[in-house]
Amino acid sequence: MSGQNATRQTAGTVPRARAVARPWRLMGFSFMIPSLLLLVAFFIVPLVFVGEMSFREGRLPPPGGGLWQNYERLFFDSFYLGVIGETMLLSVVVTLICILVGYPVAYFMVRHAGGKLYNLIIFLLIAPLLTPIIMRTFGWQVLLARRGLVNEWLQSLDLISKPLALLNSPVAVVLGLVHVLAPFMILSIASVLAGIDRRLEESARMLGAGKGMSFLKITLPLSMDGLGTGAILVFMLANGSFVTLLLLGGGSLQTLPLLIYQQFNTTRDLPFAAAMSNALLLIAFICLFFQLRLIRRKGV
Amino acid sequence: MLTKLSRRQVLAGTVAGSALALASLSPAFAQVDSIVVTSYGGIWEIAIRDLFVADYEARTGGTAEIQIGGPPQWMSQIEASIDNPPIDVLVNTIDLALVAGRTGLVEKIEPSKLTNLKNIPDRFVESVQGWGVIFDYGAAGIAYHRERVANPPSSIKAMIEGALAGEYVLSLPSISYAPTPQMLIWSLADALGGSVDNVDPAFEALKQLQEANAVIFYGGATEFLNHLESGEAELGIYWDGRTWAHYSTGAEWIGFINPDEGAVMNPVVVQKVVNSPDTAWEYINSVLAPGPQLKFAEMVQYGVTNSEVVYPDWLKERITPWEETRWPPFEEIGAAIPVWVDRWNREIGA
Repeated sequence: MSGQNATRQTAGTVPRARAVARPWRLMGFSFMIPSLLLLVAFFIVPLVFVGEMSFREGRLPPPGGGLWQNYERLFFDSFYLGVIGETMLLSVVVTLICILVGYPVAYFMVRHAGGKLYNLIIFLLIAPLLTPIIMRTFGWQVLLARRGLVNEWLQSLDLISKPLALLNSPVAVVLGLVHVLAPFMILSIASVLAGIDRRLEESARMLGAGKGMSFLKITLPLSMDGLGTGAILVFMLANGSFVTLLLLGGGSLQTLPLLIYQQFNTTRDLPFAAAMSNALLLIAFICLFFQLRLIRRKGV
Repeated sequence: MLTKLSRRQVLAGTVAGSALALASLSPAFAQVDSIVVTSYGGIWEIAIRDLFVADYEARTGGTAEIQIGGPPQWMSQIEASIDNPPIDVLVNTIDLALVAGRTGLVEKIEPSKLTNLKNIPDRFVESVQGWGVIFDYGAAGIAYHRERVANPPSSIKAMIEGALAGEYVLSLPSISYAPTPQMLIWSLADALGGSVDNVDPAFEALKQLQEANAVIFYGGATEFLNHLESGEAELGIYWDGRTWAHYSTGAEWIGFINPDEGAVMNPVVVQKVVNSPDTAWEYINSVLAPGPQLKFAEMVQYGVTNSEVVYPDWLKERITPWEETRWPPFEEIGAAIPVWVDRWNREIGA
């Protein structure tokens, strides 16, 4: 076959190929429709409904009332502003601890653990996720109770004379949340660490950088993607967490999800609960926006 | 052979399929002679299914589907589709039952359609202003760990004083637990010289208990039992039925006291939802019938309201007679709840 013929044949097959490909491309779009329908039916429509409900009159309207009364109550009352602050602070603290705990584990898994040990760590990380969160939280109750294992050990070692009030405290909540959420951080970081070309670190070492310097200048920046993904996941999940706070907090922490549940369950002030859930969603979006900007600025 | 699908066909198929899938979840597809009734989870569901639903189905030939959950969720579902409600018979707490009546979610009781109503004392209808009937009740008294509390307090007041004196730690319901306004805030206020209009004594006592590290709070009924079992607390305010149900599972360390002031009455109301079929009355008749009620009491170990029911001896000593309970002013408490919850959040914590 001459070169000219080949060119002519190729030119002739391209439009035909496009014509064949086109229905599939459209079908590719069509495949998204069930997901879109699901998203519209179970996210957008309820969101619109909740938005509308938040403008109805609540059961404890502030003086003057008005369309924005529930939001006024939420954003102009120092108590509720404090609750919003506490919600954010808890999420930040849990995220930071998960990074501090999770990064070394992920690093060890990827760089030092052999096949069997690697698989064992993966199993240990995933196994708790298969247990209902409520069971894991009850586990912490048993450990941290006044007559629980921790207090008994401390007393048997003569480190304390009477049991410590470990449960129903912010410490118990943070412990419970880190336990539940750390696997998300570790798995996010590990997947990115595994993809880093180790020759880059070796090059840095050959050029005179110490172990610490090559980690700070090469490994850490290159793993920011995983760290960012993990941070967003953990932050968002901590932001909306509820069961752990209810079971381990004992009223020591007041967060928006707890108050939303309370408004729904005890007060039945659905408009105020709707305003709080919209505020929580908005705050989560704002935090997500800044986190993504921060990560991108780091060059990821 | 490959069949090429056009974009239009794919779109139409997807939309139709999704619509069918969503619609199949709707009760609109339920059989016409089928009704939807409600139940709490756990042993309640078993009792409702095996006793009330079974009696209804045997008598009428109809079917009843059970929806598990809680009153706030069910009321929201009814509110969202009041013309074609997804629920026909509602099980409710009394404060929300009154709200459901006032907001037009349920119908007034029609005595002519409820043959078993004649054996239900008037108080169980009047308390809910005719927006349903109380068929079952729990009483919130003092539950305690027998092995760790040698001399349990005989009254609510003594219970608070003992905790403040460092004798034990209390486990009390938190504000996230729906019955707390009645079973704790009003109860404490009433026992300590206050009233529904003056709950200061209750909040003062709670703050003193917190300062003395003599109280922890539970957000769900099971959590109280965990607190006692794990040693986090020694006693607290809890339900008679749940205490004895736990005792029956082998936890013989738990005991219950009806305090001198009287345990707090917590009635469970059955209501007919507006626009539900008339067969819903027949189901309510089953709920009020003495036979199923006695078996229900034996299963859940809570008191029932049909005066023809005769408890066996073992059950009689466990059930708190309704005449020996304190009846909170439910309507007034219902109106005060938003203020109390707000105050609790600011002074006690979530």
